[in-house]
Amino acid sequence: MTIDAARNPHPIYFAGAFATGGLLTFMVHLNGELARYGNPLFSSWTAHGTGIIAAVILLLLIHRRDTPTRGNTPKAPLWAYFGGISGAATVILTSTAVNSPLGLSGTLALGLAGQVVFSAAADSWGLFGLPKRRLDTRDVAALGLVVTGAALIILFGRGAA
Amino acid sequence: MTVFVFLASLGGVLVGLSRQLNGRLSISTTPLIASFWNHAVGFAVLTCLGLFIGGLFPQRAAEAPWYAYLGGPIGVIFVAVGSWAIARIGAVNSALLINGGQMVTGVAFAYIRAVPASFWANASGIVLIVGGMMVSRGRRKVDRSQ
Repeated sequence: MTIDAARNPHPIYFAGAFATGGLLTFMVHLNGELARYGNPLFSSWTAHGTGIIAAVILLLLIHRRDTPTRGNTPKAPLWAYFGGISGAATVILTSTAVNSPLGLSGTLALGLAGQVVFSAAADSWGLFGLPKRRLDTRDVAALGLVVTGAALIILFGRGAA
Repeated sequence: MTVFVFLASLGGVLVGLSRQLNGRLSISTTPLIASFWNHAVGFAVLTCLGLFIGGLFPQRAAEAPWYAYLGGPIGVIFVAVGSWAIARIGAVNSALLINGGQMVTGVAFAYIRAVPASFWANASGIVLIVGGMMVSRGRRKVDRSQ
């Protein structure tokens, strides 16, 4: 496994992760639009369906360049294919919570808290076959700053949104 | 209310779990293949669910603007990059940067669409997020000089 790479990562991984956060904003907006004309289940179902088509097109276009780094890594266990179930269940839970007294802000804030707690556990124990990363003081400080900043924006910043 | 608090937090846990599983799959395959399976398996589950409880073909669906259907293709890139990043920078850093990116662009988006918003909460939120990212990047510099 790429434990060395996890200890000494290139800045491009950080930039990539930050940029996909931006994609998420657009994705949530577009899927929300679709749910407005239908319902959350329809929106998620359609997004997964069009996603399959997009993934196949991308794989056909770049598959030859994007060769797997197999050989030194073992085959993926069966459970690794179930990320989609977890993702699909998220849509149902969050669309239920959004329509409760929690509203969008509460759902976003609690979802962020859930993500942070799970990620910290996943890193410290190396859950589900990914490299173990011990959290140090800097990680905790960075986490505290980002979570506080996000909480400010979610709870007080975007007004009626 | 407690139930909804639990559901919303569990939603966050499932986001992390999904990223973890897709990241593991991408190590043995590629991030794009992991993203494909994520969407294929999710689609199968949602199809079963939709056939069971109904609502897969809402009447007004055809009225939605064409660009509303672009969420799926964007999701493919989102899942692929997430799987690529988590195997390299870990779950905490991935969650931190992805959420930070979402917040910063979300604020920009709210201003572009002229959604009423509190300037000071947004500005101090962004300063804290960028500060947190710089703290997290600081260690990387030390690491590389070792």
